[in-house]
Amino acid sequence: MRRFVFLMLCTLLTACGGQQSHDDIRMALAQAPINLDPRYASDAASERINHLIYRPLVDFDEHFRPQPALADWQLLSTTHYRFTLLPDRSPFHDGSTLDAADVAVTYGSLLVLKDSPHTAEFSNIQSIRVVDENTVDFILHEADDIFPSRLIIGILPAEKVQSGHDFSRQPVGNGPLRFLAWQGVLQLERLADGQRFMLQEVKDPTVRVLKLLRGEVDLLQGDLLPELVRYLKQQPEIRVDEVKGSNFSYLGFNLQDAQLAKPEVRRAIAHAIDRQALLREVLVGGSREAGSILPPEHWAGHDALPAYEYDPVLARELLQQAGVELPLKLTYKTSTDAQRVRFATVLQAQLREAGIALEILSLDWGTFFDDVKHGKFQLYGLTWVGIRTPEIYRLAFHSDSVPPKGANRGRFQDAVTDQLIAQGDWRAVSERVHAMLPYVPLWYEGQFVAMRDNISDYQVKADGSWDGLATAKKIVEKKR
Amino acid sequence: MLKRLFGVVPVVFGVLLLTFLLVHLVPGDPVEVMLGESASSADRSQLRAELGLDKSLPLQFVNYLSRLAQGDFGNSIHSREPVSAMLAERLPATIRLALLALVIAIAIGLPLGIIAALRANRWPDRIATLTSLTFSAMPHFWLGPLLMMVFALWLGWLPVSGMESSASIVLPALTLGFGLSAILTRMTRASLLEVLNEDFVRTARAKGLQEHQVILGHALRAALLPVVTILGLQLGGLLAGTVITETVFGWDGIGRLLVESIEKRDYPVTQACVLVIALIYVLVNLCTDLLYTQLDPRVRYSR
Repeated sequence: MRRFVFLMLCTLLTACGGQQSHDDIRMALAQAPINLDPRYASDAASERINHLIYRPLVDFDEHFRPQPALADWQLLSTTHYRFTLLPDRSPFHDGSTLDAADVAVTYGSLLVLKDSPHTAEFSNIQSIRVVDENTVDFILHEADDIFPSRLIIGILPAEKVQSGHDFSRQPVGNGPLRFLAWQGVLQLERLADGQRFMLQEVKDPTVRVLKLLRGEVDLLQGDLLPELVRYLKQQPEIRVDEVKGSNFSYLGFNLQDAQLAKPEVRRAIAHAIDRQALLREVLVGGSREAGSILPPEHWAGHDALPAYEYDPVLARELLQQAGVELPLKLTYKTSTDAQRVRFATVLQAQLREAGIALEILSLDWGTFFDDVKHGKFQLYGLTWVGIRTPEIYRLAFHSDSVPPKGANRGRFQDAVTDQLIAQGDWRAVSERVHAMLPYVPLWYEGQFVAMRDNISDYQVKADGSWDGLATAKKIVEKKR
Repeated sequence: MLKRLFGVVPVVFGVLLLTFLLVHLVPGDPVEVMLGESASSADRSQLRAELGLDKSLPLQFVNYLSRLAQGDFGNSIHSREPVSAMLAERLPATIRLALLALVIAIAIGLPLGIIAALRANRWPDRIATLTSLTFSAMPHFWLGPLLMMVFALWLGWLPVSGMESSASIVLPALTLGFGLSAILTRMTRASLLEVLNEDFVRTARAKGLQEHQVILGHALRAALLPVVTILGLQLGGLLAGTVITETVFGWDGIGRLLVESIEKRDYPVTQACVLVIALIYVLVNLCTDLLYTQLDPRVRYSR
């Protein structure tokens, strides 16, 4: 009996996974990627990984202007773009060369997928023609000034697409990192020097910090409460780098609500929020006040929008002007994320000063997001992540973009805004939206990376991408 | 026996029906999850038709049953992986963790319960009671990080979390095992105290048997009956996935898969997880009933 118990214990213990090498760079992720096929990936983690495994035709500079990544482009007519592949492009990780046919097949396959979240974004493509092995033409149904900015899907090898290869679990691209394996831990390898990476999901923020302190992981980026970041900064073996962020957090209104349809009420709420206090007390370093969705450094951003100053007395006056009986009772919906709930609690206290009684409803993500999309809310809070183009204004504020056809979740209807969007006058759109207040702009959340002191050359990016893995190095002390 | 086996059928059918209805009645639409916010109404309608979601609920349920009969759980909405492959990957991890937790619970709970009963109302009993009350009062989301701090960070004996090394299973198993051992201690103590006053124990002692023979050979066997029932139920719970422990320790088991699928509104995965969990419960309870007949002759005679 004793022998049986001993054998059973041994079996249980040895049935676990294998060991990792100390040379590997190990990163803890709050959320693992879901799908590594760029035609399907829509979650932030998958897109960040895919940006390392694959290369798109077009990428962005620090002002979010489209730049050639794999190809340069010419506008031959208003509906005809020609893309010419750059000569110094890398081959695919399986050794095959990347040419115009791969581009055509990648986008061609995307157009016919019936269950991809990206297919609709390319519905303006009429046809794709391979001119020669380095040149591919995109013919559009209608003129689109920012069409190159849309071509950010990683290019796949045509042969593998046609054979039905499972890119979601076995990605093959031509980016700086090559896929090795994915069994719980995602293993990647840098082509330039063979440096290996182990990316592991660790959902609990406290556990992520403990693993970093214990040396079980070498770095983690974002998704920690500010007090945990402050704690990590005090640890001698940990280095924390912070940068300004570009992901936009906002407070959304339901404009079909009788009270919130009144501009004075929305302005009152904007003036009742002490954003400086929130930035100081609730957010990580690098966070800054926001005036519009696009940050000021964006080529279509606006750096001179007047701020809604914190003024609870003015907020009260505006509510009285609107004929609202105080206290004004409103409901704020948010997810169960600890940071979100904390923000909601502070918001509740701040709005009380202005005569607003805020009820907080914290819902699981699926229910919360479903309620938001279906307009079942008065107020809600969310963040736009990874926004690159001013097309976000069309998606979020155009009258035709009410869900399910877009992300105008507050049901904002304004002919002037629609006209400005149609004209592509993004500065004027920013001003109009800022004045009409379908959202209260809150902040661009700062980005940070916490690393053990033997990690170098990892640059954290404003959009929270993990591109730093393309350059990160690890100093390993050799045992004597 | 056959009657007991047939009794499982309506339970499983009930679970299938309830899961199907719950998943289809909660807010959220798989088509919206798959296509995002830019798709046209035509695209949505087309995909809805392809997935069979345009049909009536009873018809969808019949289709679901017929696919299940062929062993087809469908594909994940997000990863597009077959759900059966996801279950096959996650279930063994949960089984390993559950069995080790059970071994730990028995190793701690049974001796403590016996000592507490034999030294009732004296200091060993008080220590055992205090220990078990402490363990049962500690929620897993608190005990887990506490064990991590002590055994991983301060002592450096074990990994904090994950599944990379053989030792990774120890802390989550201890977290689960401690809580379960508390229940076992209390059950064993109460049951043994009751049995120790029975006539057959007095008879065994009168026959001149040594005390350890009386306790282990006679009293404990009878006292274990309610303990086995509790163990069966608890094992069912452990095998069904321990959501919090698996999440805290990054253990890729079925409980974590279920929570993730609910968060992402990945309906085929949620349905399959709930079904498998229910089947495990039913099977473990069936096994407990069968074991009961082996432990207690009266149950066999009364058949």
